[in-house]
Amino acid sequence: MEENDCDSWEKASDNEDSYVDEIDEEDYYMSGFISKLQFRKDISKAHWNNELGMAEVVEKKGKMWTTTGIVRNGKTYCSIEETLFLAEIGALYLLDNNDLCLPLKEIYEKIANEKSGCSWELFEVYRHLKSLGYIVGRHGVPWIVKIPKGRDINITSDPVSLQVTPKRHGVMDVEPKEESSLVALFYNIQINEVRPVFDVYLPNRKFKKSCPGDPSFLLYLTCKYV
Amino acid sequence: MGPRWKGRASEAKALADPMSKIISDLHSSLVQSEAHAVLAGYSALLAVEAEQTELLNRACFGRHIVTAEKDKQWYQLGMEEGFYLCHSLKCLKIVGEDNSMKNDDELWLYMKAKKETFPLLYKAYSHLRKKNWVVRSGSQYGVDFVAYRHHPSLVHSEYAVLVLAEGEDGENGRLRVWSDIHCTVRLCGGVAKTLLILTINKNGQGTATPSCLEQYAVEERTISRWSPEQCREDPATVANGIK
Repeated sequence: MEENDCDSWEKASDNEDSYVDEIDEEDYYMSGFISKLQFRKDISKAHWNNELGMAEVVEKKGKMWTTTGIVRNGKTYCSIEETLFLAEIGALYLLDNNDLCLPLKEIYEKIANEKSGCSWELFEVYRHLKSLGYIVGRHGVPWIVKIPKGRDINITSDPVSLQVTPKRHGVMDVEPKEESSLVALFYNIQINEVRPVFDVYLPNRKFKKSCPGDPSFLLYLTCKYV
Repeated sequence: MGPRWKGRASEAKALADPMSKIISDLHSSLVQSEAHAVLAGYSALLAVEAEQTELLNRACFGRHIVTAEKDKQWYQLGMEEGFYLCHSLKCLKIVGEDNSMKNDDELWLYMKAKKETFPLLYKAYSHLRKKNWVVRSGSQYGVDFVAYRHHPSLVHSEYAVLVLAEGEDGENGRLRVWSDIHCTVRLCGGVAKTLLILTINKNGQGTATPSCLEQYAVEERTISRWSPEQCREDPATVANGIK
């Protein structure tokens, strides 16, 4: 231990100093990073559906659709976080009922009202991981669902098929036992009442919604501000 | 530790461009454009024009959000920042997600509901900002705030700030035992900052409305490690020791 080792204490502060302050400064120079955004020619289009709290994709452009959006009987729908992420980077036009393009401000307001299963903080997490290349989906929501013929269900009026299902999808095999001991472990940091929010997969060019495999991580969000 | 300026020109630059003036310019600009921000979770989102982008950056308010929108720049303000611009500087209006204007009392309640410690943290934040310190989140360092004498591009952050309530222990008490102090002081030293404790005394005021803030008292104390080996040469510069 270094109880009396004042020399190394001083040295440490000198070495770490410049590294640490770089992180401080990062935030201040973000405005110069707009050029990082790709300038797109082909922009996808989606219609916002208030009842579902999701956007129905009507025109797909670009490769991101292999890892974004859920498919229900051949149609692709985006959650609010997926929608906002794509709109922020200029890859998606979100249209209202009159085919008018919604400005970013209105999409931010949709996230802020938290009526579509997402909060601003959760969106920040989603955006951060997506920007790094991870594949992120809502926990418990299957990527693809085909309703068998003969069943008379109208997709758009049956939001249950699109939202989080209580029963876990077959691709994920988390033992109930494992999960409750994890919960006990975090009891004191007040993470005991959270459920997993996102399934996170490592970046993967060969990712297939029809066969996603097990997620690499389950993401939980704690809500208590201690 | 006195202010550590980055490079020779920085100190002169800072003196020529005082933070008080930058903030005053920001104030005028926001008032003129009737700026308003939308509440979103623990943040407020603000869209600004080019001139205000520069002022926000120079005054160190908010974090820029990279978007493809060409005519506006979006910024994310923390709760203390938003409330300071709205309540103390009165240059920003804040609306809820339904576009309804929130008055100071409503905002206060909203923010208190999100963060129980908001009244204390806000008192500390505004206390430092009023003295023209640049105050940013300290969560990277396990503290409440970090304080800079001017823009971080010109000066290294001197203080890591912890905000404590006078007389209240409770489960959320910080620095309860010596090892907490050792830990925090050590961490601060490792990132070249002095630990600054702001102790807020509510003077029996409670937290019902923002006007309670006026009666709160703030005491400032720094805690740093005194190293006897290093002070032998020049007795005139002996540090204060641990209070």
